[in-house]
Amino acid sequence: MIRTTRRKFLVASAVMAATALSLSVMPAQAISPRSEVGVTSTAIKLGITLPMKGSASFGYNQLPGAMKAYFDYVNANGGVNGRKISLVVKDDGYLPKQAIQNTQDLIAKDKVMAVIGALGTANNKAVASAVNLGRRGIPSLFINTGFSGFNDRKAFPTSSTILPSYIMEAKMIGKYVKDTFPGKKVCLLYQDDDFGDDALVGFDKAHGNLDFAVKVAYPSLSQGVAGVPDSWITKFKAGGCEVQIVFGVASATLYTILAAVKAQYAPKWILGSVGADIGSINPATVPYIIGATSMSFLPSVVDPKDEYVTQFKEINTKYNVGAKFNSWALIGMNTAFIAVQALKAAGKNPTRKSLLAAIDASGSKFPNAALVPLNYSQTSNVGLNGYWFGTFNKTGDLVPNDTFSYTVYTTDSGTGPVDKSSYSRPAMPAKGLPN
Amino acid sequence: MFELINTLLIGITAGSIYSLMAISIVLVWRSTRVVNFAAGGLALASSFVGAAILEKTGSFWIALPIAMVAGAAFSAFIEYFFLRPLLKRSGDQGAEIFLPIIATLGLLGIIKTILNYIYGDRIGALPPPLSDKGFVVSGESIALSPMRLLILGIVLLLMVSLTVIFQRTNLGLSLRAASFAPEISRLAGIRVDFIRTIGWAISGAAGATAGILQTTNGSGSVSPESFEFSLLLVFGFVAAVIGGIESLVGAVLGGLTLGIILAIILMYVGGSLVFIAAFLILILVLLLRPHGIIGTKGGRRA
Amino acid sequence: MELSERKAAVVHKLHVTNKHRFIGFALIGLAVYILSNTVDEWKAFQGATIAVYVVAIASIILLTGYSGQISLGHGALLAVGAYTAALTQIYLQLPVWICFVAAVLVTSLFGALLGSAAARLSGPYLAGTTLALAVGLPSIANQFSFLGGEQGISFDAGWPPLSFGEAFTQYKWFFWITSLAALIMLWWIQNLLRSRYGRMWRAVKTNEVAAELAGIRVARSKVLAFTVSAGIAGMAGALLAATINNVSPSAFPLALSFSLATGAVLSGVNTLGGVMIGAVALVAIPEIASLVADRWSGSESVASLLPDFIVSALLILTVFLAPKGPIEKLRSRHVK
Repeated sequence: MIRTTRRKFLVASAVMAATALSLSVMPAQAISPRSEVGVTSTAIKLGITLPMKGSASFGYNQLPGAMKAYFDYVNANGGVNGRKISLVVKDDGYLPKQAIQNTQDLIAKDKVMAVIGALGTANNKAVASAVNLGRRGIPSLFINTGFSGFNDRKAFPTSSTILPSYIMEAKMIGKYVKDTFPGKKVCLLYQDDDFGDDALVGFDKAHGNLDFAVKVAYPSLSQGVAGVPDSWITKFKAGGCEVQIVFGVASATLYTILAAVKAQYAPKWILGSVGADIGSINPATVPYIIGATSMSFLPSVVDPKDEYVTQFKEINTKYNVGAKFNSWALIGMNTAFIAVQALKAAGKNPTRKSLLAAIDASGSKFPNAALVPLNYSQTSNVGLNGYWFGTFNKTGDLVPNDTFSYTVYTTDSGTGPVDKSSYSRPAMPAKGLPN
Repeated sequence: MFELINTLLIGITAGSIYSLMAISIVLVWRSTRVVNFAAGGLALASSFVGAAILEKTGSFWIALPIAMVAGAAFSAFIEYFFLRPLLKRSGDQGAEIFLPIIATLGLLGIIKTILNYIYGDRIGALPPPLSDKGFVVSGESIALSPMRLLILGIVLLLMVSLTVIFQRTNLGLSLRAASFAPEISRLAGIRVDFIRTIGWAISGAAGATAGILQTTNGSGSVSPESFEFSLLLVFGFVAAVIGGIESLVGAVLGGLTLGIILAIILMYVGGSLVFIAAFLILILVLLLRPHGIIGTKGGRRA
Repeated sequence: MELSERKAAVVHKLHVTNKHRFIGFALIGLAVYILSNTVDEWKAFQGATIAVYVVAIASIILLTGYSGQISLGHGALLAVGAYTAALTQIYLQLPVWICFVAAVLVTSLFGALLGSAAARLSGPYLAGTTLALAVGLPSIANQFSFLGGEQGISFDAGWPPLSFGEAFTQYKWFFWITSLAALIMLWWIQNLLRSRYGRMWRAVKTNEVAAELAGIRVARSKVLAFTVSAGIAGMAGALLAATINNVSPSAFPLALSFSLATGAVLSGVNTLGGVMIGAVALVAIPEIASLVADRWSGSESVASLLPDFIVSALLILTVFLAPKGPIEKLRSRHVK
């Protein structure tokens, strides 16, 4: 009696498993003949994975809303070659494993055409190797990272970044500090992974050549643990730092400022671009960052005469209801703007291949709000390559000066010098829609 | 020199908050032999209540007691509707603590999803009511501020009150009796079930306090996915075990030990070793004293 | 007279049951094979994940259900197995299946160490220790650069041989590898649990003092349980690494240990028979829940929260209604 019951249960388990798996029916998808994954005659599906919740999500979780708003605007104006664009958003909590899982989901389950704007250096490195994007021909475009390693076309044939590399940023900060604060003690807070290591390369003897009195590396996601940011500040104070560079994600920058206020540590702040806009995350910090230095490649969010800012602000008000127009919204929309142009350039029947080819061929000519050029080409995966320096004003917005005139610097990820950029930004296409 | 003092102060503050959480866990363990992981969720919920009250009234001093009451209420509710039926059903109360622990894990999950649903992306703001700028001692700002003093003060106050309650009052006597020998206590006329609920209620209040203080000491805002709260739960539990999960004094000792040692490691060794350090501290203590620092050997029940 | 009769009956029963068991496993293997050829690549990927969970949950059933030692930190053991497999592949360039074996061996060793420290610990003390381990161990990867830091190191389970054809996706390959490993492991575990070791562990769990009096070396049996359980968990970790192609601290958060414990309870932690239930539940429920949420409510927040809610609710229901697991519940009804 018992032995057959046992066998029955084993077999029953197997049957249950089979039933459960097949019962999880996938939602019916359009059976129309597709020329490419994620593309139908009326729609294009894109995907993004980034931290939406949790201690690393501050600031970045506002990006998808802005991107969707721009896509809605384009869809309301005819879409791209008649196709409406949709964006599937997945939360990875800034964890590499989750980013891998999400990307697998996006590709195999949601069947997106391409991943755009994925965020995080460690995340995207893990994804590139684990998901085999290159081998499978799946584009991951305009990745929100400045990690210079992605420029390796062999290793990352279908990926491209949008931010200037961290080596570039570090070199520029190095020059700025030497010009503006000569002789002062400089200290650095950086993230303990490839993101931070890239910055270290940019600061080393061969590149930016900046020496630090105190360097503190923080493990990713440790910034939320009580007492951890305080320990950083204690070290910096003990080192007598006068100029403090914070090269971390937005939440790390936020906690650093808060801990510094508690300990009455008031150096000259230089906040790295990926995490600087903490006023948009927690308005209570605005008074503490007035006068702090940071850098951006986009025009200031409060620039009254910039046509992109005006147009995007309008789109934000109409399509991104409830969200304030801040630097996160601006960069999100700009990325979406570039993506739409790429999709348009991919042709009337876009495929993953044609999309990648379009970026190689004409990516450098896509108009966008940035004050430096895009450097996409047959040999380069790198997007932007420069910054202007400014300070935070009373409302917590970064401005170059009172007259909103920008002095933009550019450099490379190698040992080339930091020079003034002579790039003149082309006019915005009418109504902010791609031509 | 200042670095060391600051490190110790940071450690003591964090440690005393862990102690509160540890007290919460010890109270539940002593009264019902259950490790209550949902305590973390309850602390979270109570903190949101505190934030809401703070928003309405603008006063931390009203928000904190109400949050404590809320924590007590949530906790008692769970004990009455959830735990009693559970314990009745799982029968053996000896070594079988696995199922109740897992059940409280399930409860934690439910609490978190409910909070996520209600609050979504919004965060509860709990800015510190007192200045948290450090005092300046001989020209250097140290890590002791009015806010830190307040935290230490509250923890001390709670500890003393609990000790007084347990050692000096009839309620305390009943609590101790009910957890030590429930059948005999029943015969002696003690309403054991009611007493257990009280034990859980006090535990909830302690957890709520821990949650609120943790928030004001940290980022000043509480969100459902907060990493800080998961850590509070884990470190609180570890602290309780280090101290000997049967003893309130042990909970405090465990919390302080953990807080101080972690702060030292954070400062002088490095951030990434903090978590493994907690494990090593725990295993070291348990190797020497398998029942924690103050633990007593031998089962309290067969 | 009666004793030897009983002995004979037991032996006879075992002998007959072994054959039936083998048929049972072969049938399951066949079912898996058929499935793998009919489902799309996404389901194949999920199938691989289920196989990983089956092995992991089995290790918890052995340790907690049979040996009575609680572990809230099996995620850490999976991490040890995963990192071992990946490091073996990267630094020793050995073929994948040897990496799996290495993972099992190294994690068993780790388990033996942990077990000897833990043998003296009871209930909450053991729970706390394993919990601290789950939180602490993965973060070591950030300390030593050869462990890859936050983005981790890659573990390549390879691509299917070209002779299998173009349509044989890598996901299906994962499904095959993990299912095969899971079947072998389950067969072996079931053997073990039905042997005298299994009985020994049960005896110690039921009453330590009596077991000691009956001649069982309690401490040794506990350490042995930890060792074996760790080895199985190490295999699960290596399989997990194979399916994700990447080993990083973020793959082994506390939530994983909790999920595995949940899966064990859903399966019925005291017997191996229901191990599939927990594994399938962990994978299928989020799927079904998000489908339900998509159809019923447009709210994105509900869609993302529903899976956790359902799993937690199911967990609580199981503990209340079927504390010994659904299989035992059915069995007791059957017997009645």
